[in-house]
Amino acid sequence: MSHAHPHDPAKDDGPPSEHEILSRAIQELLEEKGLLTAEQVRKRMELFDAEFPQRGSRVIAHAWANPAFRKRLLADGKAACAEWGLDLEADRLIAVENTPRVHNVIVCTLCSCYPRALLGMPPTWYKSENYRRRVVREPRAVLREFGTVIPDEVSIRVHDSNADMRYVVVPMRPKGTEGWDEEQLASILTRDTLVGVALPKV
Amino acid sequence: MSPNQADIGGQAAGPIDTVDHGMKFWEKQANALRNTLTSRKLVRLDELRRAAEDLGDRYYRLGYFERTTEAMRNLLLEKGLFTRGELDGKIEEVRKRYDS
Amino acid sequence: MTPSTYTPAPERRFNVGDLVRVKNANPPGHRRTPAYIRGKQGEIERVCGRFPNPEELAYGFDGEPRRVLYRVQFKQREVWGSYAGSNHDLIEVEIYEHWLEPA
Repeated sequence: MSHAHPHDPAKDDGPPSEHEILSRAIQELLEEKGLLTAEQVRKRMELFDAEFPQRGSRVIAHAWANPAFRKRLLADGKAACAEWGLDLEADRLIAVENTPRVHNVIVCTLCSCYPRALLGMPPTWYKSENYRRRVVREPRAVLREFGTVIPDEVSIRVHDSNADMRYVVVPMRPKGTEGWDEEQLASILTRDTLVGVALPKV
Repeated sequence: MSPNQADIGGQAAGPIDTVDHGMKFWEKQANALRNTLTSRKLVRLDELRRAAEDLGDRYYRLGYFERTTEAMRNLLLEKGLFTRGELDGKIEEVRKRYDS
Repeated sequence: MTPSTYTPAPERRFNVGDLVRVKNANPPGHRRTPAYIRGKQGEIERVCGRFPNPEELAYGFDGEPRRVLYRVQFKQREVWGSYAGSNHDLIEVEIYEHWLEPA
């Protein structure tokens, strides 16, 4: 049974850490016991690398371009995505919309809950203790650290995804995007705009 | 004050490192392993979270994927999916393979 | 049947708009009610549905009977002493029914 991975340019340099060895050992033991296969794990890696990260910006761009889809997305995120052909697996998606009066930002203070089947893996800052500690208590100061200033007259709404729901922000569509197709719209919907720490820039 | 050291919302803290440092290859694989375990219902996400919280003081001494990997190990031992002896043996085998 | 974010919860204690208070309990073990929101008063923003109790799932039990999960909205200035943002800032947290009392 071969355990060699195909050459991966992102493969880590240097000797493996104790935790890398532990993780590999756990995987191989479970494979030997017939509880999972290397192929299953490899397929999940591919989904996280290649498929999930592309989805969020496409879904929100479609919501920007299609008012009926936007309405369905805001009413029931998982159902709207399923009808559009996107299986969000376990994620119970709630889409929250930014308006001229409201800016939304997402966190999981207890661990790192995040709509992975829509956005891929969360960024390191989202999982960091300092983000989890501070964004619920001082969201405006935290957003300033990301270079995002929200005026006082706009209320900030923090969403702690602490139980079974997962969240995505629907940013406001900026001026200067009139007539853009969905691919162009998706190009300014960066991951950070969908978590709420950045605003889309034309 | 909650006795769960993962329950940290609202605590004072310093600046946030706003750069996304991405994931190493082994972290992607560990994440995929964890995800395969839950999607095949060998463990529940809630159990993995609880196992991470049960790490006690180690919770803050470990990086994110180190934490999730140790939690996974402890939970799988708890559930009897393998024994300590089997795991230690496999760790040595994997280590030798990397060393050669 | 199309998947949905929500599940039905016809037999529930609270409805959208109800004022509720989060219990001020500190039991050990796996809880999904963050410490910072315990004892605070808020308003039911949304009924999410009935889900197996994570406090039981965490220990290998099946989490039945399911518990009703709500999204509860709080004014930030009422959650934190000396909140530094705007008066109209809000925080929304998912709280299970057994952690809520009428306000």
